Amino acid sequence: MECVVQGIIETKHVEALEILLQGLCGVHRESLRVHELCLKSVPNLGLVSSEVRLLCDLEQPEPTWTVRHIGGAMRGAGAEQISVLVRTMAESKVSKNALRLFYALGYKLDHELLRVGFSFLFQRGAQITVTVSSVNKMLKLHATDEAVPVTPGIQLVEVTSPASSENYNEVVAAVSSFCEYLAPLLHLSKPGVSTGVVPTAAAAAASLMSDGGGTAL
Amino acid sequence: MPIKWILHWQPNPGTTVNSQILSEVSQCAESINGVKEGRWKTTLSFYKSMVREQGIGNDFPRDFVGISLAEQPGKYFLVIRGQRIVVEAESSIQMIMEKLQSYKTRVALNFEGNQYQLGDFQLRVGKVVPMHSETLRGIVMEMEYVPISSWEKSHQIMGEFFDLWKEALLKRSLPGHFVHIEPNFAEYGLPDQYGMQHTAIQYANITAQIVATSHAVQAPRN
Repeated sequence: MECVVQGIIETKHVEALEILLQGLCGVHRESLRVHELCLKSVPNLGLVSSEVRLLCDLEQPEPTWTVRHIGGAMRGAGAEQISVLVRTMAESKVSKNALRLFYALGYKLDHELLRVGFSFLFQRGAQITVTVSSVNKMLKLHATDEAVPVTPGIQLVEVTSPASSENYNEVVAAVSSFCEYLAPLLHLSKPGVSTGVVPTAAAAAASLMSDGGGTAL
Repeated sequence: MPIKWILHWQPNPGTTVNSQILSEVSQCAESINGVKEGRWKTTLSFYKSMVREQGIGNDFPRDFVGISLAEQPGKYFLVIRGQRIVVEAESSIQMIMEKLQSYKTRVALNFEGNQYQLGDFQLRVGKVVPMHSETLRGIVMEMEYVPISSWEKSHQIMGEFFDLWKEALLKRSLPGHFVHIEPNFAEYGLPDQYGMQHTAIQYANITAQIVATSHAVQAPRN
């Protein structure tokens, strides 16, 4: 399981967000360059149609591959009341020919993306990962060198944290309280619930840029 | 990692495997001064596609297997023999396969038995039984040579050791013999340096042989 929230920020404020995250997390950012292939089952395969993602980490000297399955979100009145999405998620590192395997099993490429940006990984009540990335589409199949932004000038911010059925309440609390620190720059909400950019972003960014993130917001 | 050959017992026509043969083979390993070193186990699961409607374009692979090796419990190997694909994954891939609900495990076979050391060689002799059952489906042997990890370079010494082993076994006049099928690892895109993916392919291959043999034996009865 994982807890997740998403938001968007204008690219011009990303540097300020980075300063803020650096100050909050106390760790260095890691560069992010991930080729993501979303595969879907062909019509007759499986009792229900299914979707799986192959992620190729292009930041490594030798690209590494991961299979990720994102399952359904937790439902019910309790889940609706919290501002963080809790969903099942399973991952496995795989050797480089995993794409060939899934094609052979009856999966087809639905779409592919290239995420370029950075991430912070740190411990704050839970193990939290913040990724800030521009999402790019490929004009030609697998042509990551010729990718173009899906939404120019806008970047995606995602905060995730691994959780289990025993501890997700604490993880949700940790993620929610962390999100509050970022509130002047961007609003984070459950994936699929778009809240747009926040009006205070420009002022907050200017303040961060002038004092290097030393002042608490 | 050290190279290994994985061999299976081919019963003579008209005969089947039985536990007496397995015990004779184990004794043979001890008689050539093999030192018993504990147990070993491999598990192979057959995956079957799940389809919404039978008979419509169901050309999904029928030879898709998943393999876990006791020496690497955190790993899981997926093999489609017909298409020469082997993928190394973490054991969590099993959970992903389950969640996708597109393939389910049909039958699982356990390969388990004793391990013997003979100088630089390791021998693992064991039975092939369906999970949750004791019905003997086959006999398997792993022959590992510790100092070498090149498939090509180890060929001669492995061949010579196998000849010695066959000779030792011949004295027991058993109704069958061990067979070594040499997979073409290059077709799977694997290098000459031996690794766990090579082991997974060998298991997928001998399992196909064991299944084919047991079908051939059962066929006249039907």
